[in-house]
Amino acid sequence: MRSRWIHVLCVLTILGSGASAVLAGPPDAPAKRSTIVAALQSELDRSFKALKAQDPPAYFIGYTVTDTQRADVSGSNGALLTSTEGRNRWLEVSVRTGSYTLDDTHKVGERQQANGGPGTPVPTDDDAEVLHRAIWLETNKQYAASAQALIKIKTGKEVKVETAEGKAPDFSREEPHIHIGQQVSISVDRKPWEEKVRAYTKAFRDSQAIINSIVTFSGQGQNAYQVNTEGTQLQFGQIRYRLELFIQGKAPDGMDINRYYNFDWVNPSDAPDDKAVYAAEATMRKELEGLVAAPINDPTVGPALLTGRAAAVFFHEVFGHRDEGHRQKDVTEGQTFSNKVGQQILPSFLSIVDDTTKKRLGSQELLGYYQFDDEGVPAQRVSLVDHGVLKNFEMSRSPLADFPHSNGHGRRQLGATPVSRQGNLIVESSKTVTDAELRVKLIELIKAQNKPYGLLIDDIAGGFTFTGRGQPQAFQVLPLVVYKVFADGRPDELVRGVDIVGTPLAALTKIVATGDTTEVFNGYCGAESGSVPVSAASPAILTSELEVQKKESSTDRPPILPAPAHDPAGTQAKTGGQR
Amino acid sequence: MKISNIFSGFILAATMLAATSNCRAAGQDTKDPKDNDQTLRAMRDEMARAKTRLELKIPGTDQPVRPYYVEYRLLDLDFREISGEFGALLNSNHARSRFMDVEARVGSYKLDSSNFISDDGFRGFIGSTGSVGIDRDYDSLRQDLWIATDQAFKEAVETYSRKQAYLSSLARQSDINDFSKTEPVHQIEPLVMADWSNRDWEKEVRETSGALRAFPQIYEGRVTYYLVFATEYLVTSEGTEIRTNRSFAAIESGMNALADDGMPINNFYATYAVRPADLPAPDAVRKSLNVTGSELMALRSAPAAQDYTGPVLFEARAAAPLLAQILGPAVNGARPPVSFTPVMEQLLSGLGGKSDWITRIGARVLPTSVTVVDDPGAKEFHGVPLFGAYGVDDEGVRAQKITLVENGVLKNELMSRRPGPDFDQSNGHGRAAFLSDARPTMSNVFFTSKETMSPADLKKKFLDSCREQKLAYCLVVREMDNPTISLLHQDDFQALLASYGGGAGTGDRLPLIVYRVYPEDGREEIIRGARVIGLNSRAIRNIAGIGNDDFAYNYMQSQMNGFAGTALGAFGSAQNGLPASIVAPSLLFEEVEVRGARGEPKRLPLIPAPVMTATK
Repeated sequence: MRSRWIHVLCVLTILGSGASAVLAGPPDAPAKRSTIVAALQSELDRSFKALKAQDPPAYFIGYTVTDTQRADVSGSNGALLTSTEGRNRWLEVSVRTGSYTLDDTHKVGERQQANGGPGTPVPTDDDAEVLHRAIWLETNKQYAASAQALIKIKTGKEVKVETAEGKAPDFSREEPHIHIGQQVSISVDRKPWEEKVRAYTKAFRDSQAIINSIVTFSGQGQNAYQVNTEGTQLQFGQIRYRLELFIQGKAPDGMDINRYYNFDWVNPSDAPDDKAVYAAEATMRKELEGLVAAPINDPTVGPALLTGRAAAVFFHEVFGHRDEGHRQKDVTEGQTFSNKVGQQILPSFLSIVDDTTKKRLGSQELLGYYQFDDEGVPAQRVSLVDHGVLKNFEMSRSPLADFPHSNGHGRRQLGATPVSRQGNLIVESSKTVTDAELRVKLIELIKAQNKPYGLLIDDIAGGFTFTGRGQPQAFQVLPLVVYKVFADGRPDELVRGVDIVGTPLAALTKIVATGDTTEVFNGYCGAESGSVPVSAASPAILTSELEVQKKESSTDRPPILPAPAHDPAGTQAKTGGQR
Repeated sequence: MKISNIFSGFILAATMLAATSNCRAAGQDTKDPKDNDQTLRAMRDEMARAKTRLELKIPGTDQPVRPYYVEYRLLDLDFREISGEFGALLNSNHARSRFMDVEARVGSYKLDSSNFISDDGFRGFIGSTGSVGIDRDYDSLRQDLWIATDQAFKEAVETYSRKQAYLSSLARQSDINDFSKTEPVHQIEPLVMADWSNRDWEKEVRETSGALRAFPQIYEGRVTYYLVFATEYLVTSEGTEIRTNRSFAAIESGMNALADDGMPINNFYATYAVRPADLPAPDAVRKSLNVTGSELMALRSAPAAQDYTGPVLFEARAAAPLLAQILGPAVNGARPPVSFTPVMEQLLSGLGGKSDWITRIGARVLPTSVTVVDDPGAKEFHGVPLFGAYGVDDEGVRAQKITLVENGVLKNELMSRRPGPDFDQSNGHGRAAFLSDARPTMSNVFFTSKETMSPADLKKKFLDSCREQKLAYCLVVREMDNPTISLLHQDDFQALLASYGGGAGTGDRLPLIVYRVYPEDGREEIIRGARVIGLNSRAIRNIAGIGNDDFAYNYMQSQMNGFAGTALGAFGSAQNGLPASIVAPSLLFEEVEVRGARGEPKRLPLIPAPVMTATK
């Protein structure tokens, strides 16, 4: 099923290109406060007055309306698949009962009480009375669910043993923020994009190795309106455009070979031109054809060089996810870094920040940029690792004992409850060499370790990171493009079927040097609060030891018949069929 | 299609189905359409390869495995969905999409890879179903069909070997065939373009949904218009080639409120038409919604139903949907699939999905005055258009008029190409919603009796019987519920489903508008929350009185697996149903058991409702 493929992909997909943010109105025009904000605020006042007097009392209520305008055009194998546009508004209501210290979101043991659901659609017409009604119903529903959860927690809490972090408050106190920004909108002419996706997918048909291709263009203009009982009142918008290219093939033994590439931009004039797209396609095709014919790599341990984009994914998976604050207080999590603050976890030449205020890095657009997180906390630059020493976590409003405040990383996909998530994870190094020198160092390491070859990993798809305690504390990322690099000067050899394995902490300490060019990876990261846009940036890294295993292969063999377009007996078959 | 995305309603609604009624040009049977249809050409050409060259060599065997049957279905859908609440637009979508479904069978008609529920599915590469290009071009469709055929064939090979392994462990195997043979059918209708009419649908949605503003005690009231044009293709390795056009339009509205004791109450309004232009005008819809809203308000302040056993009169508007629920599973003559887990079979019968009539041909199943006919060719009943008509079913078999019950005796069952214990040939009733598996499904059902009485006489008989039994009041059912439309939230639906427990299999029914009639003075009083118990296919063998007030009821018939036979299964919505009609008169039952208090009371809102003015 096609749609499923796209979803699988989005777990962590790659790369971006530069552009600048653009707002709907002229830059200095004063932003107009939407009537939605007024409706949210007056209903909020009414609800809070009633619900704080109940037993149990509501101590916090937050309302968010997200207005999404979308245009999607996708094609496959030379034809248009869909071309649609639409607009919707979604209301989310958060009602917390109890207190900041102990509320209805408290996890007792492994149990998270059910919340009141993902919210509800509201009219795209500005009709305050109908909006009031929807808010009223949703508030009642969320309060009922919250009150019920709190009662269960209070009874369950007495019988469960808790960890130190479990005693941290359930919700952080934050300063209110008032910001009425420009609303955004997009205007997409889908016709030219329809022609483009046809042409872009048609080009892939020339290759016999490419069994299926999908190209998708999407444009999204999103305005968020948010109020809460602490006094926060926000209105801001964000525009995103994206072009995704995806091809599928099969090795003779049945292994699925996929290549993927994407462009992200904000300003319509920064859309990639045909030349850039066809160049990307040529690379994808060359890699896919190479991989289909490439031998399977044997399991091995040895030195490896990860190019910048591959290293960025590596850090996102191995470090970033484990540094998400809420994982430190959850008993079901591995809590890799919980007690490591102030300790050396990386070589001292490496530092890591998560800076969601950054729109770009060099010429590269950063997908993890935003103004406020989904809990209304302003984006900020957070130093997570300073010269190898762990300093901080990505924090949502779920505090830790030593980190009582959010640092603007509470994020969610529409309808999900925010948890701490990565934004723009940027790896900085003070021990850099040129990329050419890094390769020389790789060969030195291969020789020093007496290995026949080392690995050059050029592209990684987001793997699934096991952070739970029930699973082994290992990570698995999926390198897509891997070369064997030989010490004796033979040319590099493309191989397939490589999975990285190993324990995360060990892997991080084995980094010996980095390159001098930072590369950016843009993608959508899936976790418990859904799929959110993120960036990761890193220079190339050289590690003295990386363990790889054979990738699990599909048992489904390549198609029995040749593709219709590449079938020499194609027309004869037709007459043969009409016996 | 398992495409789920809560934020794009149109995708969900695109799971809307296929076989809607038709705008068929009669008797078209041109072998090669003049319109140069690339879709048909691509299907034929890839089918030719599949028939002649698709084979798999299994290690350790001499003969390669080949499919004995291959089927291509393609659905070209042009779809609009517009919804609103209280006069404001919620969303408005328009999408064109195409879906293919490829089926390959290995083995033989006697025993093949179908009718088997395995514990472990085949994990394919792209899948044998999915979206295909909407350009109606040749090359991309060839490419998609090529991969889908490859997947379907490999899947069939794997399933067949699993099925054989499982069957060899059974003491006794079924002697019913897996698949019936049928004559190839050629029917190529001219291509028809979508005609949305020049009505402003968004404006109509605002206007009609605004009618519910007059009822501030309604919590939610959503009105959705569905406008659908579809072209369906079927090409099989047996030589069948079909291209048909269908169109379909619906207005559906669900609404809810809470009674003062916290009991949730719902009501719905639905109307269906073959073409968008035939949908009722906004004024008429507003009027109907006004009635529906008023009924809901009456229910809101009505007393809760009490447990009751005694005569119940189902007026024609309620009798027709009641019979649709009972007859749906009963007349299905197909064999059930062989299941790897016997639990499945129990589950199925527990939910009322199994026929009680199967293997009872020649037995009396209804009063001797009653005849039941299913006629897919019927277009109208006394001027009322019937919605369930079609010419060829979704397996490419010409529709046949079938007399199911004659003078109370079971004569026939509805058959798809899946044989059953009583019949092994299809009679053109294999219908499928949105490229799902075809199942024996009703079209236009006529329930008639040789002995009828006027509504007044029937009412008199009902009240006499009530007096005889010395009851203070007796119950009249005016409307049956359709929870698929009346419940607006998935969790409400699940709660209802859970509350059914084993009741579905034994004939629990959900009446919606129920009145107590006091025989003393003829006074009527509406009640809420009644549930009928045990009204199953055995209970309709004896009917105390049958009216002469035939009523034609158009509805969307759900094919939800296993739940057929309950209101949850019998009635779908425009999003997941097959158009169907049933014509039936009022029915009087001597003794029916009714339970009160359906549903769990909810906490009343703690915050007073915000103001909503009646007009914008």
